[in-house]
Amino acid sequence: MTSTPWAFSKIRSPLLAASTSKSDPWQAAAELAAELNHPDLRWVVFFCSAEYPLPQLAEALNQAFPAQELVGCTTAGELGLQGYAQGSITALGFSQQAFSLAMTLIQPLENFSLAEAQKEVNQLLATSKLNFAGQGQHFAMTLFDGLSSQEELALVALNAALGGIPHFGGSAGDDIQLANTHVFVEGAFHTQAAVLILFTTHLPFEVFTTHHMLPLETKLVVTEADAVQRRVYELNARPAAEVYAELTGVAVAKLSPLTFALHPLAVKLGQDFYVRSIQKVHADLSLTFYCAVGKGSVLTAMQPQPLLPDLQRRFAGIQSRIGKPLMTLGCDCFLRRLESEQRDEKEAASAFLREHRVIGFNTYGEHHAGLHVNQTFTGVVLGEGDASQ
Amino acid sequence: MPANESDQLHQLQEENLRLQKINQALIERVEAGSSLSEAPYAAFEHAAALAEQVRERTSELTQLNAQLHLEISERKAMEKSLLEAKQEAEAANLSKSKFLAAVSHDLLQPLNAARLFTSALEEKQLSSEIQQLVTSASRSLNDVESLLRTLVDISKLDAGAVQPDKARFCLADLLNNLGSEYQQVAASKGLTLSWVTTQAWVETDQHLLARILRNFLANGLRYTPAGGRLLLGCRRQGASLLIQVWDTGLGIPENRLDDIFDEFQRVQVEPANGKDQGLGLGLAIVDKMARMLGHPIKVASRLGRGSMFSVQVPLAEGVERAQPSNEAFQIKQQRLQGAKVWVLDNDAAICEGMQKLLESWGCQVTTATLAEQLEEELASQKEGPQLLIVDYHLDTEVSGLDVAALLAGRLPRELAVLVITANHSHQLKAEVKRQGYQLLYKPVRPLRLRQALNQLLG
Repeated sequence: MTSTPWAFSKIRSPLLAASTSKSDPWQAAAELAAELNHPDLRWVVFFCSAEYPLPQLAEALNQAFPAQELVGCTTAGELGLQGYAQGSITALGFSQQAFSLAMTLIQPLENFSLAEAQKEVNQLLATSKLNFAGQGQHFAMTLFDGLSSQEELALVALNAALGGIPHFGGSAGDDIQLANTHVFVEGAFHTQAAVLILFTTHLPFEVFTTHHMLPLETKLVVTEADAVQRRVYELNARPAAEVYAELTGVAVAKLSPLTFALHPLAVKLGQDFYVRSIQKVHADLSLTFYCAVGKGSVLTAMQPQPLLPDLQRRFAGIQSRIGKPLMTLGCDCFLRRLESEQRDEKEAASAFLREHRVIGFNTYGEHHAGLHVNQTFTGVVLGEGDASQ
Repeated sequence: MPANESDQLHQLQEENLRLQKINQALIERVEAGSSLSEAPYAAFEHAAALAEQVRERTSELTQLNAQLHLEISERKAMEKSLLEAKQEAEAANLSKSKFLAAVSHDLLQPLNAARLFTSALEEKQLSSEIQQLVTSASRSLNDVESLLRTLVDISKLDAGAVQPDKARFCLADLLNNLGSEYQQVAASKGLTLSWVTTQAWVETDQHLLARILRNFLANGLRYTPAGGRLLLGCRRQGASLLIQVWDTGLGIPENRLDDIFDEFQRVQVEPANGKDQGLGLGLAIVDKMARMLGHPIKVASRLGRGSMFSVQVPLAEGVERAQPSNEAFQIKQQRLQGAKVWVLDNDAAICEGMQKLLESWGCQVTTATLAEQLEEELASQKEGPQLLIVDYHLDTEVSGLDVAALLAGRLPRELAVLVITANHSHQLKAEVKRQGYQLLYKPVRPLRLRQALNQLLG
């Protein structure tokens, strides 16, 4: 399969997307570069399958894009020109006429303090100011190593430092291998690391988050947990996996990511439900989650609804505020894709993403306004025109 | 104890332990509560709480913002319609003023004739019964004229048709004329008017100043009961002169002193002479004219004791000149006897009125409605007239000024010319001045006509 750029790839556009499903890193990099190695495009954000040999991919990309700054991460599935994809690379080029991107590697993630967050954000703001002439608005994107288990504390610090700048992001995946999640910045892949990207643009945009869940009656109390490891040993003072298996009607031995996708658990804070997705079942009947759960948390059983009506409503609302969308950069939980496959919604969802020009990836966790959650769809819709006028 | 009971008990005990544990976990969570923890989940909870607050505030602010936008656009729309309404009102007001000016002007013409007739009648020897009727008719015409003049004045001022024409002149003539004119009116109402003239020179528009003082005087006469006194006089104040009109009339309540200069405002006390004669526009006109001239107006009053109105006029520097005294003024009145006066007016009624009036003053009068008739007269009376009274507007291609110039060129002696017109234009006024003629506006008042004739024949 060859990459199919959109029709505006030959004309000057603020954004240019390309995808490749070549498995050879050198061929893949060359195919992307054929579309995106344009002098106006100063930055390329990419999302790649973890199946690629990462050191070689890094080298190939660096050579293919000598004049561009590259940033990205590994995925649990790509959102590309054709909608949902796997084993591929999807990339978005940003022109310097409409954008400025400033980015920084955050490593190590442990004990990342508010003071450090403030310093990084200030530096990115200063860089943006230098690079972007004219009136621009900011938004920030975070990419985390999805197995670092460090999202909550680092995101809280970053969100505080970002102040009123809208924020979204995702945690890198590895096709449910749970072994090999990386972020890419400064020419190399990194683990136990994160990237903060500050976008400045005169295009209209809106950062959003959405989910499609309704709460059920059942409540479970976390009675034994290791919050740092995101591991829950007991629910309602019984082995966690046993309780969850009873709830879902699936035998413990048969619990799978699909079960986790179709039977989510969420904490209710204020008026809102935040899904905490199960990552895996351990032999001792404990459960590891994709995001933090604490002892004493009350988990509510949730019922997913069809994905599309929620997405359609959300995008229609955004379009009414910012006008015709140009492109969306999105972070979509991989469990949603599993759900859509199970419910035969995948083709329709794929078509929706294609039509709405959503470029992004399937995540192990989504970030929005400093919060780390699961089974949501978050991102930024970029509109046409000039918001500064 | 039966085995199943023992099992049940055991189950209940376990259930109890689990509930205790759940309870304990919840208590720990609740007690950890809002304390800022380093633990990841607590940090998440805290961030979620913050995010919710931010969302609420954002939505409140968004609503407020939308509401403000709505209010702003409503205000803008309101402003626009107000502006349109204002422009419409201004346009309507302007066209009203123009209409009023035009109508008033047309009314002045027949009124002029009527006044001349009644004046002539008054000069006749009539039975006292008829004399009284004539006097009443004459007074009514006076009132009509005064109202009409007021309307013309206001509409012209509003339409911006009046421009001050400032010049230096000696106040003596103006004060003497006003004094003698209003002395007679005052006497007819059982009031005493005295005036103190001045030799001071001032710099202002003589015509507008006269109108201001006339209004002051008319006002004083209207609100002073019989037996009262009025005084017209001046007082120097630095580089200016205060021209004051004092009366011993009804006075003005203190709380009304400010708004008596507004249009259609009248102090709600019965006018001294029983019936109200004003529209309440007099002082509004004074105010408009004084503003135009830049002359401050002042009023002082004590209720039941009287009022003082004054206008402050700048003194013309370095001009002092001897002026004819009151006696000289009296002597001039005799000059009309036997004077040869020709009248040219295309309105036969005016000619007839003029003839009667002028003859009652002892003039030898010849009237004509066409310039050609005067030419025929010239053939029989070689020396021609001493004085020509000519209507500026003759309904022909030639104007009154043209005829005057033609006639003057064919006479052996100098011809005095008095131009009568209802045209208040600047150009005409300037042209008449340039020719050395005198100008009188319609409707012509007998007293002013007589004064003008005296001046021209002197």
